[in-house]
Amino acid sequence: MTYKLGISRLDELIGDIKSGTNIMMIGPPISGKDDIANIIAYQGLLDANAAVIVSTREPGNNVLEWFERYNLDIPMDRIGIVDCVTRTLGFGAPDTDNIKMASSPVDLTGIGVKISQFFEHFWMEMHLRETRLCINSLSTILMYSNLQTVFRFLHVFTGRIKAANALGIYVIEEGMHDEKTIVTLKQLFDGMIEIRESEEGYQIRAVGFTPKPTPWFDYEIDGANIVLRG
Amino acid sequence: MIETGIPKLDDYLNGGVPIGKTLVYYAYPGVEGTVFGMQSLCHSISNGMSGVYVASSTEPHRIREQFSEFGWDTDEYGDRFAIIDAFSGLIGADSHERYVVADPEDTRSLTQCVKNAMEDLREPGVIVFESLSTIMDLCGESETLDAIEEWNQYAMLYDHAMIYNFTAWPYSDDTLLSIKEDVCDSTIFVGGIAGNVIFGQYFGVLKANWTDAVRKCVLFKVLKPGGVRAYIPKILVTGPFDAGKSTFVHALSTRAVSVDRLGTTIALDHGHVDHKGFAADIFGTPGQARFDPIIKLISGEAMGVFLVLDSTRAEDFARGRQMLEITRSFGLPVVIVANKQDCDGALTPEDILGQLDMPETIPVMPAVATTGEGVFEAFETLIDMVMEVG
Repeated sequence: MTYKLGISRLDELIGDIKSGTNIMMIGPPISGKDDIANIIAYQGLLDANAAVIVSTREPGNNVLEWFERYNLDIPMDRIGIVDCVTRTLGFGAPDTDNIKMASSPVDLTGIGVKISQFFEHFWMEMHLRETRLCINSLSTILMYSNLQTVFRFLHVFTGRIKAANALGIYVIEEGMHDEKTIVTLKQLFDGMIEIRESEEGYQIRAVGFTPKPTPWFDYEIDGANIVLRG
Repeated sequence: MIETGIPKLDDYLNGGVPIGKTLVYYAYPGVEGTVFGMQSLCHSISNGMSGVYVASSTEPHRIREQFSEFGWDTDEYGDRFAIIDAFSGLIGADSHERYVVADPEDTRSLTQCVKNAMEDLREPGVIVFESLSTIMDLCGESETLDAIEEWNQYAMLYDHAMIYNFTAWPYSDDTLLSIKEDVCDSTIFVGGIAGNVIFGQYFGVLKANWTDAVRKCVLFKVLKPGGVRAYIPKILVTGPFDAGKSTFVHALSTRAVSVDRLGTTIALDHGHVDHKGFAADIFGTPGQARFDPIIKLISGEAMGVFLVLDSTRAEDFARGRQMLEITRSFGLPVVIVANKQDCDGALTPEDILGQLDMPETIPVMPAVATTGEGVFEAFETLIDMVMEVG
């Protein structure tokens, strides 16, 4: 049981990602991390995986609209979104089959329950054995809770990813957190997708999957595709 | 005594939580633990008491919505329900609650509000904490443990009961041990059955220092509306052809479906029951002998069995016994449903048991599935037996 990111050049270089892997994706603001996270989730849906997206910055409907915007025909019975935003905006939206509402990014207990419910549903009722969890983003959660609290939460859920043979992607804003925070959180992950600014735009590489990091690649995001150059 | 309102739990605690005592719902991360405190609070208020909810990770208006989703309308409670708002201050939002914690990251600020609320509750009441773990995350582990001691002393002083929701994130071993064994008079473990994923939830009493608590685990489901329901994942309904099994399943269920042809079940009946705090999924087998091979498939992992018999057809009773054997149900709790009691020639439950040659301890419940008469009494009897075994 293995996974692919859906980022072609990186996938070729790092090979199949083994199940139970937890990956931190870190990069500067407006570098397209949201799109890349969604692209990774979409690759999962193409590969007949289930996808659970924890959205702490966008209402759940906006996440679904991303897929609609690019005319991606996604199987709605295999996608689940934990929406940590809508209720903080004062809307009393009820849970739906695809979107479960958490009270706020502070409510890690509630977020954890919703993630578990999706995992149970996909595993027990849909008999899906490959699931991707994408938390976008940890930085918002870190704004509301201290490092130790978030570390505990991640300690539990990175463990659950391993137990479920799933793939975990956790997005972090570079520059929002001190070095200690990043170093502490890194301990929990098996690999990283790093993004940096360059003269041309932005570059991406994968770290921790092969003995050496992959080279940096310039990239462009074209709709629901990420195109690597070089 | 304050009843928790959680099915079976009050029985296990010998009636509930005495005034002045404290209880913690100690929940495994990812399991629905918060609803336990909410349900206990609403049950107490519905019984005429006053209650206070300490909101630490959710905005107060959202808390009221959450209660409403479970079917508990806090507006109806009037001034017998109050919220201590220990959240708005955290996000810099205004609050219109009676009690507002100025600094949610300081237990002294929270303690002052808790004390004020306790003083204002004239009669014995219940104070429920939405999330002790959030308070611990914000204020520190040792500070929170110290504060709990203080809150518990106030509860004793002012004759209230304290109930805490706690999620057992990986805090220090000392802290977890302290919460589990020391700080409260009673600990209820709310756990998950975990394999690759959490695929079931249960609760049980870890300790209660006022009684010899029953230490059994109860599977549960959380329903909206409804709250915590003791849950039996599989109850089998079997019996001879035309005994009324499908009618029984439909009479008992809040929703049900049958796979049948020309009115005869050819695969199975499935129904979901939600009754008096208990939820169960029930599966009915076909009754004709030609379907015996699939009956074994349907009947695996059942926790209890209804054997439905047509009370007017003694000649089918041997087939009923045979079906218990086919379903490998011996050893499981069994209730015999003496159906069609409204028909001429119906045998009494005592006569049926005599003719079945089965132990006298097996209950035989009279029923008329077409009208629903007796079906829920049979259900309650079987649930009691399943819980007794559990």
